[in-house]
Amino acid sequence: MNPAISKNGRRTLWVAFWFLVVFLYAPIVVLIIFSFNDSEIVSFPWLGFTTRWYHDFLANPAILTALRTSLLVATLTAIFATALAVPAAIALVRRKFFAKGLVSGLMLAPLVIPLVVLGISLLILFNALGVPLSPYTAAIGHVVIALPFAILTMVPRLERIPAALEEASRDLGASAMTTFRLITFPLLVPALISAFLISFTISFDELVISSFIAGDQATFPVYLYSQLRLPERLPSVIAVAVVILVVSVIVVVASEVGRFVSERRLEAQTGMAADEYGSLRSGKG
Amino acid sequence: MSIHPPLELAPPKRRRRRGTAKVSLGLISVPMLWIVMFFLIPVVLVGLYSVGVITLISYDQYLSLHAWRYFLHSSTYLGGPLGRGLFWKSMKMSLGVSITCVILAYPVAYMLALVAGRRKYTLLLVIITPFLTSYLLRVLAWRVLLNPQGVIQEMLRGAGVLQPESTISWLYNSTFAVYLVLAYAWVPFVALPIFVSLESLDLQMLEASSDLGASRWTTFRKVTLPMSMPGVIAAFVFVFIPTIGEYVTPQIVGGKGGYLFGNVIQSSFAASFDWQLGSAMSVFLLAAVAILLAIFGRYLNVRTVAE
Repeated sequence: MNPAISKNGRRTLWVAFWFLVVFLYAPIVVLIIFSFNDSEIVSFPWLGFTTRWYHDFLANPAILTALRTSLLVATLTAIFATALAVPAAIALVRRKFFAKGLVSGLMLAPLVIPLVVLGISLLILFNALGVPLSPYTAAIGHVVIALPFAILTMVPRLERIPAALEEASRDLGASAMTTFRLITFPLLVPALISAFLISFTISFDELVISSFIAGDQATFPVYLYSQLRLPERLPSVIAVAVVILVVSVIVVVASEVGRFVSERRLEAQTGMAADEYGSLRSGKG
Repeated sequence: MSIHPPLELAPPKRRRRRGTAKVSLGLISVPMLWIVMFFLIPVVLVGLYSVGVITLISYDQYLSLHAWRYFLHSSTYLGGPLGRGLFWKSMKMSLGVSITCVILAYPVAYMLALVAGRRKYTLLLVIITPFLTSYLLRVLAWRVLLNPQGVIQEMLRGAGVLQPESTISWLYNSTFAVYLVLAYAWVPFVALPIFVSLESLDLQMLEASSDLGASRWTTFRKVTLPMSMPGVIAAFVFVFIPTIGEYVTPQIVGGKGGYLFGNVIQSSFAASFDWQLGSAMSVFLLAAVAILLAIFGRYLNVRTVAE
């Protein structure tokens, strides 16, 4: 007998699962379907199939500008968050130092602040410092909220890279920097890519902080939000959003699958190398 | 700025554990500086701003508690302890949304972790993917569904369930709409920590429990549920905190009736330019979050959320 579930229970849980899937996907599917409706109102009645909303946005310079701004902000965010997360993750996993608990708590604290509070905090900071608001200030704010996610993406990967590999490199005379360059970094690359993509996605989708500190140049979510007051713009705005949705789903799924595959490979490779090194060492000493 | 901090501090001949403190400092200093500069200091500034130590706009009063006095006595924003103000409405909303999310996600997380077998990661990805796509778009989708000319009400009219002229008023621009959409938005996120805590459960414990004569229900009640509580609490907190300051969803599907505490904070900066009042309310909100974390913090393992 399976202690976790009875036969009927199993059936009920599968029903619950599919119910949740339908609940989660139905609104998105409906939105996609009606983005092809040849009507100014995104709803019934169905007036025929059209792709004109999708052509519309290519001819709308405001949307393209907003998309470009978002790409800039998201790219900057991803680069800085990933670059900052590498030393932070290495310190947290490989090192012991004073007040480590406090430091790691502070690094992860942006996970638990309501975004509206962080948004106004940064607004006050930049105003007090006299820094003009721009896409760059928005990127600074986005790095704060993306950094914990980037760190938490790298930590488990680092933990699974056996420290023995790095020690072996040092024992063979390589400097710390060379060890990082030739051993740690190459093994860390998949987590680096994940961290980059996660940070990029967080920034690209972020509305609250941007709306306070992006200045006059609206990012795409800010632009989309501002267009909600004008119902006639809705269909073409939704069309762009659908395109972005589809692209982001593909990226997310691809990166998750990639991460899964690379985890398996890492275990196979490093497991062997670390075992060999371990037995060599114990044989010697 | 050094992106790769100096790892090469120790002289080569010495054993490498020496000089470790300097290396650690080098590694952690830049990310730490970022967080202090753009997270810690700004939050402190908000506190100072709320009492007028710093003033930036013409409405501000230098060194004054008027914002705090006004907020703490207002019936609209606070309304006393456990009052009818927007703060408590937000608290109730977040509480309701978090509990709903946990109830919806638990059975599914249970099934994926303990019943689904080898396909569990794929199926989990199916549940989580919506969370990783545009939040704004998912809220927008509900506006398209719920509004009076929207898909649901038009469909009901077409089916003759709803009279052509009438509308279902509680479905849109209402507190219910905000509650529904927030629960929708956060369910996938909740499934994750619960799944992780259930997956790390030792199946032999369940077998032991059933060998000792416990029914499945008793096993669930006495073994599985208590052991998955850390995941449940993590899920609860990680929905509660982002929704407590939420103002976007109320604006898109909530209308005037669906306004929450986040909306008054946002509008005191974006519309009414009473930054001191907005700061005071932000500090109050942060204090509430801090109390929550102090109570539940020890159950939190943030990793369950990120992996």
